Amino acid sequence: MTKQKRKNEPEFSDWFYRDLFQQVPFNMAIIDKEYNIIEANANFTEYFGNWRGKKCYTVYKNLDYPCVGCNARLTFEDGKARVSDESGVDQFGKQAHYVVHLAPLRKRTNGPVEYIVEMSRDIIETKNWQMEYQLLFERVPCYITVIDRNYKIIRANENFRENFGDVVGRQCYEVYKKRKTQCPNCPARRTFHDGRVHHSDQVGIKKGGEKAHYLLTTAPLGRDTENIAHVIEISTDISHTKALEKEIIEAERLAAVGQTVAGLAHSIKNILMGLEGGMYIVGKGICKNDKVMLNQGWEMLERNLNKTTSLVRDFLSFSKGRLPDLVPVNPNRLAEEICELYKEIAAKIGVTLTVDLDKKITRAPLDPSGIHTCLTNLVSNAIDACRMSDKKNGEVCITTADKKGVLSFTVSDNGTGMDTEVKRKVFTTFFTTKGNQGTGLGLLTTRKIVKEHGGKISVHSKPGEGSYVTMAFPKKRLQALYEEKDSPDGTENK
Amino acid sequence: MSKKIMIIDDEPDILRFLEQLFQDAGYQTVTAGDGSEGIEIAARERPDLITLDLQMPKDTGTAFYRKIHRDKKLGDIPIIVISGIAGRHLAIRKPVAVFDKPIDKTALLQVIKDTIG
Repeated sequence: MTKQKRKNEPEFSDWFYRDLFQQVPFNMAIIDKEYNIIEANANFTEYFGNWRGKKCYTVYKNLDYPCVGCNARLTFEDGKARVSDESGVDQFGKQAHYVVHLAPLRKRTNGPVEYIVEMSRDIIETKNWQMEYQLLFERVPCYITVIDRNYKIIRANENFRENFGDVVGRQCYEVYKKRKTQCPNCPARRTFHDGRVHHSDQVGIKKGGEKAHYLLTTAPLGRDTENIAHVIEISTDISHTKALEKEIIEAERLAAVGQTVAGLAHSIKNILMGLEGGMYIVGKGICKNDKVMLNQGWEMLERNLNKTTSLVRDFLSFSKGRLPDLVPVNPNRLAEEICELYKEIAAKIGVTLTVDLDKKITRAPLDPSGIHTCLTNLVSNAIDACRMSDKKNGEVCITTADKKGVLSFTVSDNGTGMDTEVKRKVFTTFFTTKGNQGTGLGLLTTRKIVKEHGGKISVHSKPGEGSYVTMAFPKKRLQALYEEKDSPDGTENK
Repeated sequence: MSKKIMIIDDEPDILRFLEQLFQDAGYQTVTAGDGSEGIEIAARERPDLITLDLQMPKDTGTAFYRKIHRDKKLGDIPIIVISGIAGRHLAIRKPVAVFDKPIDKTALLQVIKDTIG
């Protein structure tokens, strides 16, 4: 609105300013030097209630004396406008937050300040939001920290501070993991680099020294994906879940031990009876001077003695409760080694042993002796299945593959195959279809080793057509196990 | 004519042992390597007594017992359980006797003699 226009508008007289004062969407009050409110608008009255004949501090804050550090007094003295954040009470006695603008009113330019106009606006909503956000940030049941590009923590929520101690201004790796240097595979570094959200599994150390497993998500703070100044780290503590998992594994292990011991006792009883039988037959042979019987008894003794030996050997390898000793090896080499080892034995009974290797496979962390044991068990099972079959041309093949991040070994045969009943029982302790020949521990040991590698074993079979057994290892898990082995305190697992 | 005993066990050496033991005591013997074979042979050979192992890969001793018990002609043949597993005394309803492995030869032969003479 120009001055020119105003001059031409005769209506801009008293009523205009009066109405403006009343209708302006702020609480307006005018006070004199004694803090008396001498005029106020409708908004003010609505917000603070009756003001006539009252001091401003009484109306704003329900006080009997002027506020400490009163801004109005200063403005009366120096004539300068002021803004401040104030807390008071509204007409219903409720807490009120408002921003107050103070401006001097003079009768003459450069004359003394006669009155002050106080213009205030309620910011209680904004304050409430602020408080809500603050509360949410502090109380949310996760750990939240905000770090700058130097990995210095600039904010941390209550939950985090309670568990990890006083943190602001310290390096995040120091607080989370008591490290002196940045963590390998730091997800925050990746977020700073690519502006994306990253997730990872982490193990840290709380202020009391106990281990904390947590799932961490890092995200850029702000909308920009370049030149990220801050990264927010949010994590959920999964220590409890991890502990439960451990307990379950332990319980399963104990149950397996129990079953194993019971099965072992049964196996040993059978062997003992075989030995006793051998002795009985040998004794009879001697009595009757019967050489055929003597031979028969002797063979029974030999067989059961051998059975004891292989039972003890398999049992030892089964009971080895250790982490696999992972080293990067070429899976194809392992398959070839087994093929070399069994080729001749297989050929002797008319079984062709071949390999079908995925040439693109690269080295992967595996326990070579463990995988060796597995492949040995599977290949000898496959050869036995061919031997028991009526077919003339037995074939066993070791196949390797690397698909969708899963490394796999498959041993297939065209032998007898298994019916559902047998298939159901193949992983039962001491279950064997080989009578005197088997200990019933081979597949069980194989499954155990595969599981220790974080892998899975599956058996497919059709009676009369053959079987194939696949050991599948997700490479991510192999890598994680490998890294865990390298840092025994578990500081990092991707 | 001497009495006939059928031996059911999946271990060939145990079959051979019991076979010899019973023959030496003057019995005839027949053998079966698993439960289903046992039913077949029992129907054909009509044994006077059966010794039964419980844990076998194809057909368990309990399953064999259930089948033979339902058979009118074979249901009354006395059965002696010879097994190393725990709970062997509960596996079948009316065994003549239950023996752990390795067996007590004298006691076994005595029970057989008391049962079928």
